[in-house]
Amino acid sequence: MKSESEIIDVKTLPFTANFIWATGFMMQRFIEELASRKILGVKCPGCGYTYVPPRSRCGKCYAKIEEENLVTLSGKGTLVSYTTGHVALDGQGNFIDLQEPAIIGAIKLEDADSTIFMPIEGIEPRDVVEGLKVELQWREETKGELEDIRCFKPA
Amino acid sequence: MKRNAAIIGCGQTKHSSKRRDVNVAEMVSEAVYNALEDAQVSMREVDAFIVGNMPGFGGIAQPEQWLGDWIGAAGKPVIRIATGGTTGGSVGQGAYYPVASGLHDVVVAVAWEKHSDSKEAGATSGLLHVGLGNLFHAASYGLNLKNLMAMSMVGAAAGVAVYQAVFYMHRSGCTIEHFDMVAAKARRNAARNKYAHLQWPGCTPEDIAETELLAYPFRYGHICPASDGASAIVVAEENLARKKARRPAWYKGLASYSDEENQLQSENFGGVGVLDPSEQRGCWVSAMKAYAMAGIKDPQKEIDMAELYQPFPSQELIFAERLGLFDEGTAWMALEKGETDINGRMPLDPSGGVNATNAIGSSAMQRILECALQIMGKAEEHQVPKKVSNAVAHGWGGVTNYSTVTVLGDSPGR
Repeated sequence: MKSESEIIDVKTLPFTANFIWATGFMMQRFIEELASRKILGVKCPGCGYTYVPPRSRCGKCYAKIEEENLVTLSGKGTLVSYTTGHVALDGQGNFIDLQEPAIIGAIKLEDADSTIFMPIEGIEPRDVVEGLKVELQWREETKGELEDIRCFKPA
Repeated sequence: MKRNAAIIGCGQTKHSSKRRDVNVAEMVSEAVYNALEDAQVSMREVDAFIVGNMPGFGGIAQPEQWLGDWIGAAGKPVIRIATGGTTGGSVGQGAYYPVASGLHDVVVAVAWEKHSDSKEAGATSGLLHVGLGNLFHAASYGLNLKNLMAMSMVGAAAGVAVYQAVFYMHRSGCTIEHFDMVAAKARRNAARNKYAHLQWPGCTPEDIAETELLAYPFRYGHICPASDGASAIVVAEENLARKKARRPAWYKGLASYSDEENQLQSENFGGVGVLDPSEQRGCWVSAMKAYAMAGIKDPQKEIDMAELYQPFPSQELIFAERLGLFDEGTAWMALEKGETDINGRMPLDPSGGVNATNAIGSSAMQRILECALQIMGKAEEHQVPKKVSNAVAHGWGGVTNYSTVTVLGDSPGR
C-alpha cells in the first residue's frame, strides 16, 4: 500500500499535439468566397440534391461533383429546427450561465436541400417557430474565414 | 460451410507526403471509387464496408462516422477495425469473413492514413497519444522507474526496430550493407509503381550508404516515409467473382496471432518470455496457420512472391524468414544473389513496400492489395515476370506486436 505522499498527481501533459486538418478544395473555396460575401453550394449533377457547404461526392446518388457544379446561394432561408442554450462552456471545462438564452437553428437556405446550423439573433426564444424566414448577417469586415458568417436574423 | 471469396478490384490514391487538396473523407472516397471502377461493380451492389486507420492518428476519433456517406455507406453496415500498425491487414482480412460466412456477397474494405493532418512531424502527435496512454496505463499498475525509463526511451516502432535489427544481425551474420541493398531495392521498385511515395529509379546501395546514420544500424536512407494515402479492395463471393474478374485473387488462407513481444510483456521490460524482438513468433504462428488453411506445405516452393511489412529494411529479411520463404538466417544471402528482386526467384515487395510508402493504417492493406494485383496480372510496371499462383501478404503492428498473414492465390481452394 502506497502512502499518500508517494502518489503523483498529474496536472498537465508534457506535450501538446496539434493538427492541421485539410478541409478539401470544395470547403476551401467556400471559406475563401466568404470574403466577397458569397455563400457557395453545389448542385449534384446526378440527382440535383444541393449541398451547402459544397462537397465533391454525392452521398445520395454517389456521383462525383466538380467545381463546375458550384452554385451561389442567396443567404436567405427557413428555420427547420432549433434549440435554446442556457449554459455555455468557459474553455476551462466549466459551465457558465448565460444572461440571455442563445438560439441555435438548423437553416435550409433557398435552393439548398441540406441544412446549416447557425446562431439566430434578433428574436425572443418564445417567438421562434419552425418555418421562420431568416437572413444571413455578415461580420462587418469579411476576411474569408468561417467567422465571417456572424449569425442569422428574422428576415 | 464457408464460401469462397476473392478480391476482384483494387483502388489506391497516389501516395505523397502531403495531400492538402483533399480532406480525409475525400481521400478515402478516391480509393473506394477507384476500386469499384477496377472491379466493374456499382455502389448499389456493395453490401457492407470494413474501414480502418491507425487509432489516434490524424486526431479524428471516429473517422468512420465522418466519411460514411462519402464512401457510399449510407444505409449500409460499416465496421471500423483498429489494430495499430496491422490495421490494414486486419481490415483486408475483415472483408473476408462476412463474404465467406454468407452474410454478404460484396464487401468493400478501405484503409488509410493522412499524416499531413498532424502538425508535428509525421505521425508524432498520434504516437504521443498512444505512448502517453500506455504510460498512464502502466503507471496505474505501479510500473517501476527502470521500466518506465526503458519504455519511454523505446519510442514507437523505430525504437523497437533498431534493437530488433541488431539482434538479427548477430544471429544471422547480416551487415548494415544488406540493409542498404534492401532500401535501394525498395526505392527502385517504387519507381515502377505509380502509386508509391519514395521513388528513386536506379537507386544503388551506395546511394543509401551515403546517407547519415540516425540510430545504429539505421541510416536516413533506411527509413520509411510518412505518407498520405488510402487503399481499397472489393471482395466478392465466388459466382460474382467469376463473373466480374478474369483472374480473381482468391483468399486461400489467413491468420492473425499476437505474441509476448509486446513492449510491456517482453523480458527486457519486466515481462516474461521473449528477449529477442527479431524472433517474431506471432508472425511465424500466423504463417503456419495461414499456410495450413491454404493447403501450402512448402512455402519456399509454393509461394511465388511476397509483400512484407518492412518499414525498416531489416524487417524484410526477418519476416521473409518467419514466413518460411527462406531458411533461418539466410534471407540476406538470397538478397545478395538477387533472388528477392522483381525478376528474382522469390520477389519481395515488388511494389517498393512499406519502406517506400507508409500511410500507416493502409500499409498492411496495401500488402494484400499488391499481392492481389500480382495474381490478377494488374501490377503494370512492377508486375513480376514469373507466374504468380500463390502470394503471401504480411502485416506487423509496431511495438504492440500483432501480425496478419494472408495467402492469396489464383484458385479458390486447396
